[in-house]
Amino acid sequence: MIQVSNLKKAYNGVTVLNIPALNIPKGESFGLVGNNGAGKTTFFRLILDLIEANDGEVQIDGQKVARNESWKPFTGSFLDEGFLIDFLTPGEYFKFVGKLYNKSEGDIALFLESMEEFFNGEINGSKKMIREFSKGNQKKIGIAAALLGDPQILILDEPFTALDPSSQIRLKRLLNDLQTRLGITMLISSHDLNHVTEVCKRIVVLEKGDVVKDIATGEDTLKELESYFAV
Amino acid sequence: MILLELVKHEWQKGIRSSGFYKNVAVSIFLGVFSLYMGGLLFFMGFSLNKILEEVPGGTPMELFNGAMLYLLLTGLLLRFMMQQLGTVNLNSYQVLPVNRSLLINFLLLKPLVSLANYVLLLVVIPFAIRSMAAYYTGGVALRFVVAFELMVWCNSLLASFLKRRFGSGLLSFILVLVAFGAIFLLEYLHVFSLFAISRALFGFIVMNPIGLLIPLGAVVVAFLLNKWFFAQNFYPEKFNSKLQNSRTATADLSFLDRFGVIGELISVQIKLMLRHKRTRTLLFLSAFFLLYGLMFYTNEHYGDGMIFFCSMFMTGILMFIYGQWSISWDSAHFDSILTKNIPARTYILSNYYLMLAFNVICFILTTPYFLFGTKIIYMHLTAFLFNTGCNIIFLLFFATFNNKRVDLSRSSAMNYQGTTYKSFLIVLPIMFFPILWVNVLSWLTSLSVAMWSLAAMGLVGLIFRKPLLNLCVKQFNSRKYIIAQGFREVE
Repeated sequence: MIQVSNLKKAYNGVTVLNIPALNIPKGESFGLVGNNGAGKTTFFRLILDLIEANDGEVQIDGQKVARNESWKPFTGSFLDEGFLIDFLTPGEYFKFVGKLYNKSEGDIALFLESMEEFFNGEINGSKKMIREFSKGNQKKIGIAAALLGDPQILILDEPFTALDPSSQIRLKRLLNDLQTRLGITMLISSHDLNHVTEVCKRIVVLEKGDVVKDIATGEDTLKELESYFAV
Repeated sequence: MILLELVKHEWQKGIRSSGFYKNVAVSIFLGVFSLYMGGLLFFMGFSLNKILEEVPGGTPMELFNGAMLYLLLTGLLLRFMMQQLGTVNLNSYQVLPVNRSLLINFLLLKPLVSLANYVLLLVVIPFAIRSMAAYYTGGVALRFVVAFELMVWCNSLLASFLKRRFGSGLLSFILVLVAFGAIFLLEYLHVFSLFAISRALFGFIVMNPIGLLIPLGAVVVAFLLNKWFFAQNFYPEKFNSKLQNSRTATADLSFLDRFGVIGELISVQIKLMLRHKRTRTLLFLSAFFLLYGLMFYTNEHYGDGMIFFCSMFMTGILMFIYGQWSISWDSAHFDSILTKNIPARTYILSNYYLMLAFNVICFILTTPYFLFGTKIIYMHLTAFLFNTGCNIIFLLFFATFNNKRVDLSRSSAMNYQGTTYKSFLIVLPIMFFPILWVNVLSWLTSLSVAMWSLAAMGLVGLIFRKPLLNLCVKQFNSRKYIIAQGFREVE
């Protein structure tokens, strides 16, 4: 589904990402870990055509993403608050996003109902603007908006940070469910090794822009990662 | 000493903001502009004596004293509108062992250091020397200057208090405006003369050695009012919630639903404008600009170029204000625009139609000016065509060069955040090309040729809007990485 070939990104001559080849097949849950500055967000931004690669390309369904819009209808993403429109209420924002993906009001209402547990009753129907919500609730709104368009590809940057423990568990359940039920291709970055190994079938470790590990998640994966990151 | 530390922090906050160095061009432009204004004010101060000598009703000093309360009221009104409330990041200091009253005093007195409070001295000092030191004594002149400055301080403190206490919503502004109008009307009808009171009061202040106690007392009272307000509202959350009360303006925009995704985008833009103070102030100001015609159309001295400039300005004011930053308004959620299912063409089209709607609205709102004669009717029609056909495209195309994040959470008029030299480069040709065109063509041939040619340009722009918009889309696509990069840099 996603093919990366010879992808390079440099800022002021310093290479921050260098991936010679990487293939993410349809339905895979792909976890990305690495310390700060390893290039996780840069990689996601390149996939989403938010920045321009110095060399190489990312392809989705055989079409390169750069300067192309054909991937947008089936790709949902949430990287940071820049993906929210913070002066809208959640209801207005979901309606707006829903319309972009040709959802009817009924579809949107049904979807929000299904998210009610994840939202913990704090978001639906609220008249507050998104900018007045806590970071955790903003994250929930962003994740929900990414899912609203029935995406085939879901890209989330550190979805677990800022969420409370119950919400983290609910999110894990939600992601696992989406994967088994709908076979969504998921790309998730995380600093929490526990969560990412529980959700993802494949873990890639980035260090200073290079892929240093690419492992299928198994019994020992968590231990392997912990010993890798141990100082 | 802690106070010195606080001053140092303010200073560091100023020079460490990333905008400080980047905006050299804007700073130079503003610097030259303020020098020019300063020179004008100084010159005015020198000639004010001469001017007032021509006015019947008293000596220059008496006249100035009489106008003083009016000046102060106007100043208060302007401050109420424009002055930004001083803030220190109270929360980050409150947890430290810093004396609270020190923080409040600092917060209150900080605005008094602002240069804006001293600009008018450029007028007052030369005036005092020429019309007081010359006729009375140096002491009178000195008292006049000191009293004036003290009243300016009083104004500044009073404006902060009123703003904190009553908020700066539209309603309180209208109330103040109505009160102001009432006083003016009473004066005009000779029912009640603020002028006479002011003349007597400031005459006393200036002539008596103890007179300065009055303005000094006013400053102290204004200061204590502020202190009282802070004593009443001990916790910052209390008065913060008052300032940023989240009225979610839920204007019914459901009629836009019919226009699909473009309608949705436009409705989001309208909400953006209604829900941020910076954009609300701009909308409010543009209503004032609609009155420009009363100034220009009634004056015989202006050439046709200037008159047409005025028509163009009024019939396109919303378009100019919005279009100058048409992409930058979306700074904070630009990544959302790029990754959600919004084709670039749809995005550009939504901006186009919004500006088109703005032009229609402004055109309709300015139709009362048609009473000024057929020339004005032709000019407004031409201006509408030219704005709609050419200027929208021009703005859309060149808006892609603004890649500086516009921070809407910071407020108020006179906000230059997000302004670069590019903003000036975009607006200048739009503003001055038509004046030049009209002046040159009407000099060479006739006014009607100038009008018809501009209208024709507008029509050509309208007819070829498809390929022109495609050009804008192409431009947007080729610049979007640079724009997105710039928008991610929070100041």
